Amino acid sequence: MGISTISEWTGQIGELVIGATRSEGGTRSRMLKVGGEKDLNGIGNPPLGHTAVVAYEIADDPDLWPAVARHAAGDASSDPATWARFAETEVRPDLIRLYCTSTRRRGFSDTAGIRKTIEEVLQATSLPISIEGSNDPAIDSEVYQKIGEAAAGERVLLGTAEAGRYRSVAAAAMAYGHSIIAQSPIDINLAKQLNILLREIGIPHDRIAIDPYTGALGYGFEYSYSVMERIRTAALKGDEDLAMPMISSAVDSLTVKEVREAEGEDADRIAVAWELYAMLPAYLAGAAIVSARHPKTIPLLRDACSSIFQAYHGGGE
Amino acid sequence: MASLKPLEIYKLLPKKNCKECGDPTCLTFAMKLAGGKAQPDQCPYLDENAKAILGASTRPPIQKVKIGVGERSFAVGEEMVQYRHEKTFIHEPGIMTAIADTIPADRIKEITTDVRDYVLTRIGTDLRLNGIAIRCESGSPGEFSRAVEAVESVADLPEVLMSIDPLCMEAALGVSGNYRPLIHAATHENYHEMCRLAKKFSCPLAIRADTLDSLADLSSKCATEGISNLLLDLTSTSLHEVLNRTTAVRQHAVTRQTPALGYPVFLDCAQQGLDDAFLVTGVAKFGSVLVCNPLSHPVRRALLVLRQNIYTDPQKPIQITPGLYRVGNPGMDAPVLLSVNFSLTFFTLQGYLEASRVPSVMLVVDTEGLSVLTAVASGKLQEAMVKEAIAKFDLGNAVSHRKLIIPGYAAPLSGRIEDATGWKVLVGPRDAADIAEFLLQEWKP
Repeated sequence: MGISTISEWTGQIGELVIGATRSEGGTRSRMLKVGGEKDLNGIGNPPLGHTAVVAYEIADDPDLWPAVARHAAGDASSDPATWARFAETEVRPDLIRLYCTSTRRRGFSDTAGIRKTIEEVLQATSLPISIEGSNDPAIDSEVYQKIGEAAAGERVLLGTAEAGRYRSVAAAAMAYGHSIIAQSPIDINLAKQLNILLREIGIPHDRIAIDPYTGALGYGFEYSYSVMERIRTAALKGDEDLAMPMISSAVDSLTVKEVREAEGEDADRIAVAWELYAMLPAYLAGAAIVSARHPKTIPLLRDACSSIFQAYHGGGE
Repeated sequence: MASLKPLEIYKLLPKKNCKECGDPTCLTFAMKLAGGKAQPDQCPYLDENAKAILGASTRPPIQKVKIGVGERSFAVGEEMVQYRHEKTFIHEPGIMTAIADTIPADRIKEITTDVRDYVLTRIGTDLRLNGIAIRCESGSPGEFSRAVEAVESVADLPEVLMSIDPLCMEAALGVSGNYRPLIHAATHENYHEMCRLAKKFSCPLAIRADTLDSLADLSSKCATEGISNLLLDLTSTSLHEVLNRTTAVRQHAVTRQTPALGYPVFLDCAQQGLDDAFLVTGVAKFGSVLVCNPLSHPVRRALLVLRQNIYTDPQKPIQITPGLYRVGNPGMDAPVLLSVNFSLTFFTLQGYLEASRVPSVMLVVDTEGLSVLTAVASGKLQEAMVKEAIAKFDLGNAVSHRKLIIPGYAAPLSGRIEDATGWKVLVGPRDAADIAEFLLQEWKP
């Protein structure tokens, strides 16, 4: 007797390490190790020492950030270093994701400023970080070079590599010892193709996080949910080109109609609900790193993920 | 047991070609059985062996159970797969708002009325909460039945009656037993009595035990008592335990390894501080009846939309008809925006265009329901179809200019669209949220 889950898997998710501590040449207070699972998230005994990673997202140019998230961070959002400090002391995520939204303004050219921003953020927080750069091929090379260099030795996660434009990100990651986020548009085959391209230019599999792109709740989330499940199960069946940990962020969550049209306190509550009700299922579908922009989403997401993840170590069965 | 092939089924049939099943031959009947389009009991001449084999392999691996009567009644079960991408999930879980029988009748009526009336309309569908779960916390048959009366006085909603005391249950069933409430719960201790009540009132029954083995044993005992409309209560205070139990039960059911677990799943999601996490897990991972505390408006919206997302058939992208769509009251100099017929892309862009207050025309082309990002990547959005759409929908007579704003993610196609159509292409933002600013700054007819 003893009816329990049936494991049909032969494969294993690869490991990815984010953040370097002093002993490893960085200045982070801890490193995060994700991946290593041999089953779906939360099923059976998770690998020891691994955690569900909850990321809080901030931006260097808050004007290009959802108002509800900006307001919830208060004055801290006016400056990326202060925001990062606020993240560490008040929000307490596992990972800070810094979006260099300033690079998305038309005619952006201040790459020296980007460098300074990264240095100040790394000074302001000792949490592991990921950094999202530009999304314009014309400036990618310069921007990623500056980001990579400014964060040298910290083993950050650098985003975003896409099928049409991955060389600049990859070059910066290789030159300065970072890992990269490989994003594909909600399609398992395109995710795999990109990983193969990255492998061919010399990015090892243990330096990649798959971002299958996550549609917001009610705005294509179901596609992302199933693509994540398909990637995860393909990996567990032994497809090594899909066996990297996944990172998920429903980046449009706070700009959807439901959130945009809410007012006052209701706006915060619906923002939190919209993030939580996408990121928690994303975790169940296989994401290793789940992200949110509203500070109040973070503790809820952490409690939920850890209660799914950790029971067997917490005196449960 | 894996599903049988038509010829394997044919061998089990009487081969009389009597047509009494409604099919011309036993072979065509066998093909229908294999496809799930006919039931074994349509054949009057099956022997016991054939019935047993066919019954097990052609009925859905999870029992169908109907809760409630009338317009708001709902069915659960009949699920076939572990992952929605394998086919689809069938019956959305019912969300049952819990009240205790110890709270004032007015409050019970207030909560029930709210559940009765709340509706969220999205993409042409009305999303609702499903019913009321009444918890017997008083331990008193009188109190419990009065609470059920309070619910019944304002709504005909499906109910869950929650008590392990057969006396309390019988009292409550005396009030609403004719409306097929779910009886919760039978245990190894009380199942004789609870089965008797389930049979007397023809109600579905939720069963509860400490382990899955014990639960399978209990479901077999109930089946022996003639009760097959069962739900399995897999609630645990540990969410990890819940996820592992629901996953195991679905696996054992759909693979038919443990037919005694082939029933829909009941979860009590009112768990201190983790209600959201239990509800999300219940919706995504195989819950069929979810009991929860009264939900705030933000949470119920998110929950209902998540349920709609997870239970959308992944084989049928939600599409809209290609064509010209006008936003506001566009004149001949209004901007024209290219978009795709994936409904969510369409509704998102339309929402932002309305918010921009710039009257405009949307040119929606047929990408077979793919979003811009995926359509560009997979070649489903091409310059030739843009050209065709401009001609077909007579865009040239809808506006006086020859400028087309394309989505930011379609930028790689800009040159080819210009060459193919002769229209000047402006590359718009990637994110529809930026469209208002783009139109204000960039748009001149």
